[in-house]
Amino acid sequence: MGTVSQWFTDRIPVSGDDLKEMTNEPVPNHLKRWWFCLGGTPAYLFVVQIFTGILLAIYYQPSPSTAYESVRYITEQASFGWYIRSVHKWAATLMVAAVILHQMRVYFTGAYRKPRELNWMIGMFLLGCTLVTGFTGYSLVYEQLSYWGATVGANITDSVPVVGPFLKSVMLGGDTYNQQTLSRFFILHGAVLPTTMVLLIMTHLTLIRLQGVTEFEFEDERGTEKKTFSFFPDHLYTEIIMGLVLMILLSTLACIFPAMMGARANPLITPEVIKPEWYFYVTFRWLKLFSGTFAILSMGFIVFLMFIWPFIDALFRRKNKNSELSVWIGIIAVLTIIGLTVWEASVAH
Amino acid sequence: MGQDPLGDDQIEKSSERRSFLTGATSVAMTGGLAAGYGTFAGVAGRFLYPAHPTKTAWFFVTDLDSMKEGDSMAYTTPVGATVTVTRQGRSGEVEDFIALSSTCPHLGCKVHWEPQNDRFFCPCHNGIFDPTGRATGGPPGEAGQSLPQYSLKVENNLLFMEVPVETIADSGKISTSEKTQFAGDPGHDDCLNPRKPGVA
Repeated sequence: MGTVSQWFTDRIPVSGDDLKEMTNEPVPNHLKRWWFCLGGTPAYLFVVQIFTGILLAIYYQPSPSTAYESVRYITEQASFGWYIRSVHKWAATLMVAAVILHQMRVYFTGAYRKPRELNWMIGMFLLGCTLVTGFTGYSLVYEQLSYWGATVGANITDSVPVVGPFLKSVMLGGDTYNQQTLSRFFILHGAVLPTTMVLLIMTHLTLIRLQGVTEFEFEDERGTEKKTFSFFPDHLYTEIIMGLVLMILLSTLACIFPAMMGARANPLITPEVIKPEWYFYVTFRWLKLFSGTFAILSMGFIVFLMFIWPFIDALFRRKNKNSELSVWIGIIAVLTIIGLTVWEASVAH
Repeated sequence: MGQDPLGDDQIEKSSERRSFLTGATSVAMTGGLAAGYGTFAGVAGRFLYPAHPTKTAWFFVTDLDSMKEGDSMAYTTPVGATVTVTRQGRSGEVEDFIALSSTCPHLGCKVHWEPQNDRFFCPCHNGIFDPTGRATGGPPGEAGQSLPQYSLKVENNLLFMEVPVETIADSGKISTSEKTQFAGDPGHDDCLNPRKPGVA
């Protein structure tokens, strides 16, 4: 035993104690509250996505003539294929939801303030990556929603001033949807975006470790002496339990609402009603409310404001140190987003 | 210490009980993790193992006398795939007939038989296929993608086709409205123009 561990110590010159020192970060007490695990939730779901995604990629064939048939094969013929695909689909949905909730938690607790502005911005990139991965994901199935969703997406891109037409042809690999389009979406969905997200998540976590988790103190905790608990094993247990609960939730959803096959994509038939996934309802409603270029530019401006929000908040707080303006703006924004989503969900056009 | 409600004896019992509970929960948790993720690993392994072949069945198509040489008919399989059956000879044998998928391998538009030109034609991007389904022009010609063929047999002067019978796919939905949509369509890129009513 001793010789084996010596063999490894000679080659990997890190002692167990060093490793423990490096990783066993004291965790603030407030993380015992479950709703502070919302950052770990998308991270766990991301791992589920990588795992199920690799499995699905084994059977998936990214070309218009074979894509639909290969997804049908996965869903109907491959053993447990329906389960793997349904878990992948539900984990995507839950991941978007968890990322949004995590962002709301960070926003309303002001955890993005100095010195954590950069981590907020990395988080915004991760939100963007998550949404684009979702979009390219359902484009791969090559059902009606995939084809027309991608076509509508390309037209939205087209209406961006100056660079729009260029971006559109890069996205589609041509002027219109063609045989090269699906492989582009596949590479984006299965290689480019996941790799980018792994790098961003690593930076996100490194910055959290370097800065430490924002410390909060709640009314009922005031006066308690020990403000932290240890990462190993206490917080790890919390995360493991979260993982198991999520796995049960995903399996239940996959069994009750499995991913089905829609009508095969048909370039000749424009569907009467086309709707993206629920997380794009806000954008979709916004685009319907305003005309093309204005809608795009205003949407871009709002995203830009979200991106630099830590600095805007700092301006508010320079004027008034206890300014709660950000919280009120946040409440209005959340209500608007919910309102537009419900509106889009409840009408046909 | 006089105020302590627990005697030494009770403290010892309580700590014994605690260590037993800690041990039991650890075992339960490890077991739960192993069972949960183990099952998932099993499912993943089974998924990778090649699946059983598609279930197929022979379906009646038509009687031989009702199709003359040069005739073609549209056939929708039970799972919703559309097939064009064409008669290209008059021997009365199965060799007279050919059954080809009418889904264009390019972007999935519907291909139809043109007896006057002796070819299959896709109106979306002018895809052309010869009578055996081999792509000869348009985007499928360039990519060398031919139309998939179905097996046929003749029994008692009746024509049968072997088709897959298992699906939960909703692909049958398209074929109902498809005919009206592509009748008279000249075949041009405008069909890809999404700026139609109903799409924002």
